[in-house]
Amino acid sequence: MDKKQMELLQGTLDMLILKAVSLGPLHGYGVLLRIQQISKDRLEIQQGSLYPALYRLEHQGLITSEWGESENKRKAKYYRLTAAGKRKLQTEAEKWNRMADVIAGILQSTPEEV
Amino acid sequence: MWSRIRLWLRAVMRRARMESEMDAELRFHIEAFAEDLVRSGEPREEALRRARIEFGGIERAKEECREARGVSFIDSLLQDLRYGLRMLRKNPGFSAVAVLTLALGIGANTAIFSVVDTVLLRPMPYPEPDRIVQFMLSSPQESFNLSSIPKFMVWRQQTSTLQDFAAYESDSPGINLTEGELPEQLRDIRVSAGFFRLFGATVDLGRTFTADEDRPGGRHVVVISNGLWHRRFAGDPNLVGKAIRLGGEPYEVVGVLDGSFVWDPPTDIWLPLQADPNSTNQAHDHRAAARLKPGINLEAAKEGTKLAAEEFQRKFPGMNGPEGPQGTFTLLPLRNAVTRNARPALLVLLGAVSFVLLIACANVANLLLARAASRGRELSIRVAIGASRGRIVRQLFTESVILSVAGGALGVVLGYAGLHALLAISPDDLPRVGPHGVAVELNARALLFTLFVSAFTAVLFALLPAIGFSRTDPSKILSEGGVRSGFGLRRAKSRYFLVVSEIALALVLLAGAALLIRSFTALQLVDPGFDGHDVLSLEMSLAGTRFQKTAGVAQFVREAEQRVESLAGVTALATTSSVPLEPIFFLPFSIEGRPLANDRYHGGADYRYVSSRYFEVFRIPLRRGRMITERDDGNAPGVVLINEAMARQFWPKGDPLGERITIGKGVGPEFEEPARQIVGVVADVRDAGLSQSPTPIMYIPAAQLTDGLTALGNTVVPLTWVVRTKVEPYSLREDIERELRQASGGLPVAHVRSMHQVAVESTSRTNFNMMLLSVFAGLAVLLASIGIYGLMAYAVQQRTHEIGVRMALGARAQNVLLLVFREGLSLALAGIAIGLLGAAWLTQALKSLLFGVSPNDPMTLALVAVLLLAVAAAACYIPARRAMRVDPMVALRYE
Repeated sequence: MDKKQMELLQGTLDMLILKAVSLGPLHGYGVLLRIQQISKDRLEIQQGSLYPALYRLEHQGLITSEWGESENKRKAKYYRLTAAGKRKLQTEAEKWNRMADVIAGILQSTPEEV
Repeated sequence: MWSRIRLWLRAVMRRARMESEMDAELRFHIEAFAEDLVRSGEPREEALRRARIEFGGIERAKEECREARGVSFIDSLLQDLRYGLRMLRKNPGFSAVAVLTLALGIGANTAIFSVVDTVLLRPMPYPEPDRIVQFMLSSPQESFNLSSIPKFMVWRQQTSTLQDFAAYESDSPGINLTEGELPEQLRDIRVSAGFFRLFGATVDLGRTFTADEDRPGGRHVVVISNGLWHRRFAGDPNLVGKAIRLGGEPYEVVGVLDGSFVWDPPTDIWLPLQADPNSTNQAHDHRAAARLKPGINLEAAKEGTKLAAEEFQRKFPGMNGPEGPQGTFTLLPLRNAVTRNARPALLVLLGAVSFVLLIACANVANLLLARAASRGRELSIRVAIGASRGRIVRQLFTESVILSVAGGALGVVLGYAGLHALLAISPDDLPRVGPHGVAVELNARALLFTLFVSAFTAVLFALLPAIGFSRTDPSKILSEGGVRSGFGLRRAKSRYFLVVSEIALALVLLAGAALLIRSFTALQLVDPGFDGHDVLSLEMSLAGTRFQKTAGVAQFVREAEQRVESLAGVTALATTSSVPLEPIFFLPFSIEGRPLANDRYHGGADYRYVSSRYFEVFRIPLRRGRMITERDDGNAPGVVLINEAMARQFWPKGDPLGERITIGKGVGPEFEEPARQIVGVVADVRDAGLSQSPTPIMYIPAAQLTDGLTALGNTVVPLTWVVRTKVEPYSLREDIERELRQASGGLPVAHVRSMHQVAVESTSRTNFNMMLLSVFAGLAVLLASIGIYGLMAYAVQQRTHEIGVRMALGARAQNVLLLVFREGLSLALAGIAIGLLGAAWLTQALKSLLFGVSPNDPMTLALVAVLLLAVAAAACYIPARRAMRVDPMVALRYE
């Protein structure tokens, strides 16, 4: 494993998957590649935990799936974002950004500010 | 139903599709990943391998996917079922033993419960059956389900607590329907007018009796059963108002009963009782019943009935019946009165059969515990690769449910077969089961009961191993030696407990069965006092003016004697009011010239009227004096024979020969006759049944009865012919029947039995109890031995390593053998000790069913203990031999 890779924070995988498929339909392996690509290989994703997350999101109605053909002419299952998934992604992203601001603020605080 | 199947199919298909899609998706991922690796220069083989490793646990991911997808209940149930079935198929021996064990327990319970339900539990088929009460005579010792007409007349004054009083005959000789070409003997009953209202009998046609028709000297009217209406009269809608010929006389049909009305025993002809309110007839040949008035409870009604007893004493001082001078009247709910003779035995059997079920459950629990222990490794692996605890417990539970459902299904089949076998051997006098037990069926209640029993067993024995497992840390089991630490030991303890209880229960059943077997053999060894071999008995219901007078009957009997005795193979023919071992009359008597204390009589004795050759037919020897002969007829002075028991009791010092007794004085006008001289003393016969000691009896020449008694007798009992033959008695049956019919002018002959059959019937109850309890005890012993075998086999397998070490250190084969035996037999001994305590207490319940052996007979208890110990030793032998043959080298390498 590459040393510069970071482990995924608890509970963020779902959000990343939603973001990945929001850019266009993807199969499972594609989701993995897309996340690695966007993160410039700085995130480590457990491949085994990807599929349970996909199934869970589909069960929650945030993404749907259908069988299609992959780039190299093979049958693959493609996931796409639903309207509910879009809304969810938006609220999750806002929540995350607010949280990141707060945390960053706390971490940057100096003794004088307290 | 169909839509449910479709739903189920869709669920199954959806599930299969999802599985294959998931497989395809994951395969695509890994292959795509591998291809990327190949593109970046890895060799293909190596790329696939790396792709798999980096993906991580595929099975675990799949399991998580299934859960994430929100597996439907039916999906996981199907999966559990499939897995469970696969596990059971993989261990056919285990599965077969478990299912069969359960099926035996459940089947036996279902069969017995069906009978108990029909006889004891099901409400009587009458309106508000719980409020119908039976009039009972009670002495300090016992109670009798009987009444006389005068007692009924006094009792029915108790109108403040009771209503709808009814009296009806307790027994009937049968009546001949002489309508059409084929005369037929039918079962009839005389009932008072209130009978139909009390029992809620309605008519399909016509009406029931009016109060006028129920008065003495009332018209000849009859109500017939629905069955007879269809069978003999083709359901003729105009039958009411027409006359049918019964016993040669015309009776007007006034009604046809509704087909749903049930009477036990099944009866076709209903005649008005026409009892005289001023009757002084003290014969107890009726029953009486009534309904509790609204708002009155049983206790209050009993008080009123007690008052009636006092009233009767004032009206008829000293005229007691079977209840004796200290007796009184009481009430019993109808159902209890009808079933009270069958109740103790049935409850014992129900108890016994529930023991069998308990043993079966213990056995299956034992099997499952053993298997759970040996599966500890497998289950731990499943937990380690991602199965949740709950899932494992549910899995174990599903397997148990499969076992118990299979056991229950097979149990119903066995129960059905068992029920038929049971009814085939059940005693004829079992109440409420109908002819050949048609009223008994595997009904919804019995099936529900079975369902409950199997569900109960499933929960009981499934939870034991499941709980045991969920408490255990799987890593311990997986680590070396873990199987034998804590996990195994605690498990073993509960298994020891189960085996010990199984043996204890088996011992109790075995003791009960052994006591009944000893009673039965004791009964077979009893000398009945008569020789019933090659004796045929036939019954004939006498009706018609020709048979209303003693002389007419005597003339008929003489003619029949000549005809039948001229048949080749016949030695002697006689008539009697009843055959030995079967019910009999009881009459009071007083001895001439002996002062009376306070009572009207010197005592009472059984009473049987017979023709002269009765003693020859049954080879009852004469002890003193002379036999009765053909010359003792209506013109000769009255004579009587008594038995030794009567001579002993009433003439302990003196000589009864030549003494004169007056029989039945004051009982009724039919009994009024001059004193009879005792001319002979004959040997004792066990008339009240083989298990009862002989009681005093008086034999009266039938040719010397008063005309009134002959006529009365005809309405109470059939005339019974008994024939001694030199050949197999049934081979002459048709010849004898023909001669009797011709001599009688065409009366039908019914109820043809050999005396052997009569004897079998008289012990059928003991026989029935013995057979069933023996079967149950056999089952119990078999199951318990399977249990002890299973435990020891398991222990030996678990300790192979230890045994190997011992042998490597110099233990000899015999030591190893002893090791296993010591453990197995100490369990058996513990079980036997507990069982003996239980048996000493529980066999008291058998007391009323035993003969010639006490419930705590030490011989019997010792015998069954030894027997059970021997069976346990045999069950230990196979595992012990296996232990002896352990090869230390192999054993030490084991694991």
